[in-house]
Amino acid sequence: MFNSINVSASGLTAERLRMDVISKNIANANTTRTVNGTPYRRQVVTFETKSEAQSFQQHLSNQMGKFSGVEVTGIKEDQSPLKNVYEPGHPDANEQGYVLKPNVDIVTEMANMISATRAYEANVTSIDAAKNMAQRALEIGR
Amino acid sequence: MYKNINVYTKALNASWKRNEALANNIANVNTPGYKRSDVKFQEILKESLQETAVQGAKTHHRHLDIGAKDLSNITHEITGSEGYSTRRDGNNVDIDMEMAEVTKNNIYYEAVSRQLSSKLNRLRSSITGGR
Repeated sequence: MFNSINVSASGLTAERLRMDVISKNIANANTTRTVNGTPYRRQVVTFETKSEAQSFQQHLSNQMGKFSGVEVTGIKEDQSPLKNVYEPGHPDANEQGYVLKPNVDIVTEMANMISATRAYEANVTSIDAAKNMAQRALEIGR
Repeated sequence: MYKNINVYTKALNASWKRNEALANNIANVNTPGYKRSDVKFQEILKESLQETAVQGAKTHHRHLDIGAKDLSNITHEITGSEGYSTRRDGNNVDIDMEMAEVTKNNIYYEAVSRQLSSKLNRLRSSITGGR
């Protein structure tokens, strides 16, 4: 009965995690040294439809047309090249005076942030719609 | 007596399911390769009503139905779409359209449930004789 709310909630969880990772990218836009000594690499969240059926019950509910929402499959590192910036005074500069800076592009992150916010809002609206329908159903026959 | 009520119930069930489908589309708006799904009911109802347009006349109570499809047998259907995607990630969810559909579906649900309520009220009023 509450499946549509659960589905939207999975969307909320996924978008919030995406937002967290975007914040992390923005916060680390200039981090030249992480725990393992390398510059920070941009992280990307990957989404997948929640449908990989493992148990019999999941197979059955998929056949019955149950919608299961979205899930995060992982947070992966963006393998695009790091930025090479000439900054001789920097403590992490190499002999030629170049510093490897994270491959974070602030504009891209901002655009993704707006996308995540809007998707989050859409899921909230969807929960609202489901709630209204349920309340309306309770009023049948009053 | 409960024939209309049954159709209303089916419409409400279909609308509820449709809300689930639309919620799933919205939740997967950023999932690469996801294709939207939908629930079809009104078309099915319309088809079954059109089939009753050609109806055999019944002059005896044991005559079989000709052309008339029993409304109690119809049910909603979940449809997927492999339609073209305008996005590079292969996802074909259009968030504006989905939000509009959610709103429409909400209003539709409200309309049908009000119809059902007033039908039940009329029944109640005829049972109590308007008292």
